[in-house]
Amino acid sequence: MALAVQRLRYLGRRALQAVPIILAIVVCNFVLLNLAPGDAASVLAGEAGSATPEYMAELRQRFGLDQPFHVQLFHYLRNMLAFDLGYSFRHSRPVLDLVLDRLGPTLLLMGTAAVVAIVVGVLLGVLAALNLNGWRDTLISIFALVSYATPLFWIGLMMIVVFSIQLDLLPTSGMESVAAFYEGWERVVDIARHLVLPATTLSLFYLALYTRLMRASMLEQAGMDYVVTARAKGLTERRIVVRHILRNALLPIVTMAGVQVAGMLGGSVIVESVFGWPGLGLLAFESLFARDLNLLLGIFFLSSCLVVAVNLLVDLLYALLDPRIEVR
Amino acid sequence: MKRLVRAAAGALILAMAALPAAAQKKGGTLVMVVLPEPPTLASYLSTSGPVGQVAAKVYEGLLEYGPDQKPKPGLAKSWEAAADGRSITFKLQDGVTWHDGKPFTSADVKFTLMEVLKKLHPRGGTTFQALAEVETPDASTVVMKLDKPAPYILSALSGYESPMVPKHLFEGSDIRSNPNANKPVGTGPFKFVSWERGQYVRLDRNPTYWRKGQPYLDRIVARFIADPGTRTAAMEKGEVHYGAFGAVPYVDIPRIRTLPHIDVSTDGYGMISSLMQLEINTAKPPFDKVKVRQAVSYALDRKFMIDNIWFGFGKPSTGPISSNFQAAGLYEGKVRDYTVKDAVEIANKLLDEAGYPRGADGMRFKIVHDMLPYGDEWRRLGEYIKQALGNVGIDVTLRYEDVPTWLKRIFTDYDYNITSTFYYNLADPVMGVHRQYHSSMIRKGTVFVNGSRYSNPAVDKLLDEATVETDPAKRAQQYSQFQKILAEDVPLIFMTEMQFATVFNKKVKGAFDDALGVYSSFAGVWME
Repeated sequence: MALAVQRLRYLGRRALQAVPIILAIVVCNFVLLNLAPGDAASVLAGEAGSATPEYMAELRQRFGLDQPFHVQLFHYLRNMLAFDLGYSFRHSRPVLDLVLDRLGPTLLLMGTAAVVAIVVGVLLGVLAALNLNGWRDTLISIFALVSYATPLFWIGLMMIVVFSIQLDLLPTSGMESVAAFYEGWERVVDIARHLVLPATTLSLFYLALYTRLMRASMLEQAGMDYVVTARAKGLTERRIVVRHILRNALLPIVTMAGVQVAGMLGGSVIVESVFGWPGLGLLAFESLFARDLNLLLGIFFLSSCLVVAVNLLVDLLYALLDPRIEVR
Repeated sequence: MKRLVRAAAGALILAMAALPAAAQKKGGTLVMVVLPEPPTLASYLSTSGPVGQVAAKVYEGLLEYGPDQKPKPGLAKSWEAAADGRSITFKLQDGVTWHDGKPFTSADVKFTLMEVLKKLHPRGGTTFQALAEVETPDASTVVMKLDKPAPYILSALSGYESPMVPKHLFEGSDIRSNPNANKPVGTGPFKFVSWERGQYVRLDRNPTYWRKGQPYLDRIVARFIADPGTRTAAMEKGEVHYGAFGAVPYVDIPRIRTLPHIDVSTDGYGMISSLMQLEINTAKPPFDKVKVRQAVSYALDRKFMIDNIWFGFGKPSTGPISSNFQAAGLYEGKVRDYTVKDAVEIANKLLDEAGYPRGADGMRFKIVHDMLPYGDEWRRLGEYIKQALGNVGIDVTLRYEDVPTWLKRIFTDYDYNITSTFYYNLADPVMGVHRQYHSSMIRKGTVFVNGSRYSNPAVDKLLDEATVETDPAKRAQQYSQFQKILAEDVPLIFMTEMQFATVFNKKVKGAFDDALGVYSSFAGVWME
């Protein structure tokens, strides 16, 4: 009971600490993004192909770009504190709607990729460590090296060429079949089929990292005194690996995954653009080039919230894996 | 005899045109790939390509245009210009309704023209500059009252250029922030259903479309795929059926066009007439000297660019007006020819005469070339320009920035020497050409206008006269004079008439019967 209260109090304190951090991030982003030359009005007019000066002036006035910089910042922060992320004039929609639209597909893709990468990476790492310098170890190490070194976009395109065009097994791109518009379970299956290639492509890179990290971590733990003790106690090799070595070897993976999953949630521009996946990364990329600052700031705000949340989760997970680590 | 042959040929063509009508099939979903994803579907506020490609299926204009660019009935079944050119009377189609069931009337037309297009459309201010008033004697008659003759208006009434919007949904609201921007209600053959951001826009057949029997398709889905390689793959696999404006990159076209189910066409771009040009800062040395600009024009091999960078798509251009205007009599081909055999020698001679002799290292002066930030072709072009101008002793440094930075550099700061760019001539020079050369279009901060800051009173006068001239012969004479002057002055280096490629699945039929191509309504498109 006392432990639960302590954890809750810890959570509350960390959440409070996050507020000034996120605010600082927002201000930094706002200042940095405003340093970029050109503005949303000129991009919109540029896309239109032509515009009169009155039209340009009107656009700037409507976007609030005619205001001095500190007034713009003040307005933005004031809206922010009221949980209003603002309006994207480019899309004629509130920023929150646009971001939430993309959040589901992003979490689906990134979540799947992260789970696959961590589970398979850990498994391969354990296998390699148990078969040190054997053929399995060599094979796994080569696989990890190749996956890590190959550019993502190339893997993606090759996946499309092989599995989609040559073998005709999976769709090339998108999140669902647009000619069919499936409903119910058929739709779930359809989305799952569309998910295979992008999730595999994205997980390959991270998978390689976790494999190598897990292998090294397993080998390090295997040489520890407590393993010798366990062996002297007469425990089976299987029990030693699963209960003792593995559990301790997981800690660095959790640290690494915490950092990366938080980053992944911001989206992956490359995988999203190759597979036409409607994620946050591509939206951020497009809004940067369109100087749609309200939208971009909204995405950054959401990403920074996610990073803070995932970090907190990782800290709690430490305590679960290793009871010696306390949360206070 | 000659007339008889022509009549027979005409009858034959008509018969041939009528043939496929029998084969038109109902049903099916057409998936078109549009790039990039449009920010909104407000084609009454933006002329941006992707906006129009989708919105033109929903909104219609008063007129449509055949492949010969001659106007055909659209929402207006007939039209007549007064003899003095001061008014145009339109009779509207009967029984047209908006997608929400309300009738379409002359009040909608008046509202759209006066309150939306003339005031808010980026080109509307120019197109409808002479439009003083719209009269609506009854629900199906519209009379445009003009201050001065404006012959070009009849070329600008398509569903893409001047879409008709419903008065009852826009009146009394802020038109710019009206929610219809993201869920359009029009009169067109397809109704807006949904827009999944980052994925697709879905348009379904309008069952109460005023053209009986049309549209043939059940549905059009516009998909957005950011990666060019994936677009090609999706086209190859048959997941998408139609993509215009480089949806499939030029580099993939020679391969994909050999596939049995794929075809490539350069039709449907006739009312756009895109010209690739090098925009030059004529107010800054060394390009303030005409001879230097002419030298650059001589030094570049247009044929080489077309063959090697654009994979054979395009043809050399001679001046500010595309040869697509030959039929209208507005194109002048007899101007200074920069593609002569000894062009490089002439270029060297001109540069010597301009007072820029070669230095010890063989170079005359240094410039920076800003490459248009629209993709790979423009980088390849930049590399070619560096090499070709290096041959005549101009030392070129290349620079590639993102779009907003580039726009600001060229049209606000004027901080450049020479940049690659392209401009649409559009349906009439008044709309697409004047903005680049008239001195009144030197407008700091406004994009895609006279960024060269070229100012020539003789040119201004010719353009002003051609704007109001109703006699085609006199107008042709004015534009001919204009093109001759420009070919001498070269405030922009005229490079090529660009050809865009539409890649499509052979199942798609009837997509090229309209001058506007991808910007047409697709009412007559069907799938085999």
